[in-house]
Amino acid sequence: MKSTTASQAAADLAGADAERKEPRPDGRGPRRGIRRQLPTSPWLFAAPGLAIVGIFILYPFLSTLNNAFTDKRTLIEGDYVGFANFQELWHDEMFWIGLRNSTLYVLGVVPALVVLPLLLALLVQKHIPGITFFRSAFYTPVVASIVVVGLIWVWMLDERGLVNALLEAVGVGKAGFLSDQWLLLLSAMTVTVWKGLGYYMIIYLAALANVPRELHEAAAVDGAGAVRRFFSVTVPAVRSTMVLVAALSSVAAFKVFSEVYLMAGPTGGPAGEDTTLVMLVQRVGTGLTGRVGYASAISVVVFVVTVALMLLVLRADRKEDA
Amino acid sequence: MRISRNPRRAVAAGAVLAVLLPLSACGDGDDGGGSTDASGKVEGEITFQTWNLKANFKSYFEGVVDGFEKKYPGTKVRWIDQPGEGYADKISADAAAGTLPDVVNVSPDLVAPLAKAGLALDLDKSASKYEKEYLPGAWKSHQIPGMDGTYAFPWYLNTGPLFYNKRLFKDAGLDENKPPTTYDELFDDALELADKSDGKVATLANVPTIEDFGRYGVPLMNKEGTGFTFNDAKGVELLTKYKKLYDAKALDGQALTATPESTGKKFLTEAVAMNPGSALDLEKFKKDAPRLYKNIGITPQISSTGKDNMYVMGVMVNTKTKQTPAAVAFAHYVTDSRRQMEFAKKVAIFPSTKGSLDDPYFTKQDGKDETRVRVAAAKSIKTAVNYTPVLFSEQMKVELRNSVAKALQGKQSPKEALDNAVKNCDRLLQQS
Repeated sequence: MKSTTASQAAADLAGADAERKEPRPDGRGPRRGIRRQLPTSPWLFAAPGLAIVGIFILYPFLSTLNNAFTDKRTLIEGDYVGFANFQELWHDEMFWIGLRNSTLYVLGVVPALVVLPLLLALLVQKHIPGITFFRSAFYTPVVASIVVVGLIWVWMLDERGLVNALLEAVGVGKAGFLSDQWLLLLSAMTVTVWKGLGYYMIIYLAALANVPRELHEAAAVDGAGAVRRFFSVTVPAVRSTMVLVAALSSVAAFKVFSEVYLMAGPTGGPAGEDTTLVMLVQRVGTGLTGRVGYASAISVVVFVVTVALMLLVLRADRKEDA
Repeated sequence: MRISRNPRRAVAAGAVLAVLLPLSACGDGDDGGGSTDASGKVEGEITFQTWNLKANFKSYFEGVVDGFEKKYPGTKVRWIDQPGEGYADKISADAAAGTLPDVVNVSPDLVAPLAKAGLALDLDKSASKYEKEYLPGAWKSHQIPGMDGTYAFPWYLNTGPLFYNKRLFKDAGLDENKPPTTYDELFDDALELADKSDGKVATLANVPTIEDFGRYGVPLMNKEGTGFTFNDAKGVELLTKYKKLYDAKALDGQALTATPESTGKKFLTEAVAMNPGSALDLEKFKKDAPRLYKNIGITPQISSTGKDNMYVMGVMVNTKTKQTPAAVAFAHYVTDSRRQMEFAKKVAIFPSTKGSLDDPYFTKQDGKDETRVRVAAAKSIKTAVNYTPVLFSEQMKVELRNSVAKALQGKQSPKEALDNAVKNCDRLLQQS
């Protein structure tokens, strides 16, 4: 019965198709009426989403791309200058400082954000009394406003702040967390890691929940200790999640702005030495005399590098699979 | 395959539009400008934008708006107040989008790019009859080198003394009743204070800014307004002295990344001995730092030119307003002698209108610290100068700051650092 119906339906469709393909008396080719109407409705459903994507994502993106080849300023429409902005970037000391700092940020933050949240997730994975408190506590920085977080850390790391007071109490002496170029960058990285731990911990917790308990049990029966089980069972099981975390955190780290801006100030640290690329975009591209074209050129570089970072991480994942 | 053709076309058309729309922005659009003639009937609805004033002066401004609407029946003023943070960005977004309010509260450095873009009404052409009501220096404060005209009504002025911490001076063996009055005395005292406190107490918390160079007597810009000149011998001398302070820890360790807020906090917590301020700060000290308030010393600004630094606020009229007579009349109404005097009595600012500073409010002492500061500041403001060139943008401030930091860290010599700063600021000036 079922096959009959299917055959019948196929025959009907074939007939309909034949009818559509049949030339019309005036020789204008086959009718396409029914077929033209059919696909419209999915596009109508998608239209609001497409409109939003078009207006708020595609248009700004293409506009930025276009502006990168102009000398547009905030209040003055520019002319096309070809690759002049990119040539200027090449000779701009601040651009190289920004690129260096953004790259260092990726190198410093990503390994920590791949490993530490996994360890934290393993710690809070256990169902023991009071564990919900710890899970919530570790997640708290994620929901806290970055401005508040930044201010708290600035207070703590200030010359007269808590951390320096502790260092002085134990005889180490004060450190210029907010005045030394490298310590400042390291402090900002610490804040990024501290704030991101809870977020990635939750992702790892979901991944760990899917690791079959039998694998651990089998490894334990074979005499594997906790460390061996971690490297031989847990890590392979959550490897794809680690890749995801690496991809997400590397893109976020390369685009860092708030942490460094809040801790290093609007100049980007002493002599601007802690400026990141996105801070540079903000500095040169905003305000009444902002160089929108030049800032767009930097944005294009940020875009290209972040896409390259994603591809690099995903490619590394594929190689592992192979 | 045929099914997907139409959507593909739609996507392609969308992409083309997305590319063409921004391109179209490069062309000359309809400016939709209003008239520059302010002589017509004062009527219609206008918008008035201020800068972080609603929180504390809501009733005052509502009174001003009511008064204007009563004086000119048929007018309606819509008052908008924007937060201080990112105010320039808000104005630039409005200006770029063509939604700049009719009357806007601005400072001279904000007026310059707006005037260059043809968005600020030239008052010398449209409202020159009001010029005589204002102090000549204040009226000139919204003139832009290289352009003819005056682009905003002067509004309130501000200046203030130097505050110092008597206790810190005394602890260092300095006479707390004899604060420094010249740059040489300031640098000597600062070095002594750092030495006696083993580098724990700095005297200053900020690196020299463009107004510091101006106050030190450094020529900041050429007369034509086409290039900066603060890398001359006097500028190098000032920076060399600051380098000495920095090395001796007489300049706060975090000065290279300091903001006005953070330096204020350093003074409040008695980490630094001196800080510029205004009469407004006295209330803050009294409330937030009673121990500091007990030891507060007040001394005039240090200046090699004999003229203090002042900050100027203005009110400009948008050239695109559809109600030019009403907008000009309102901008004048807000900044006229009566309104400025009323405002000055509500907050520690100084009117820019002629004769206002001769009011007993600004000349008579009553024994209070606030009055002493107010009277001294009012006296100094008659000759004070806004040292910050109107063409000195935020980006230029960062360039100077970063170069100064390089010199203080010893990465560049003061001369080299200032040469670089001038070169970069000149480049930005050419591009603006």
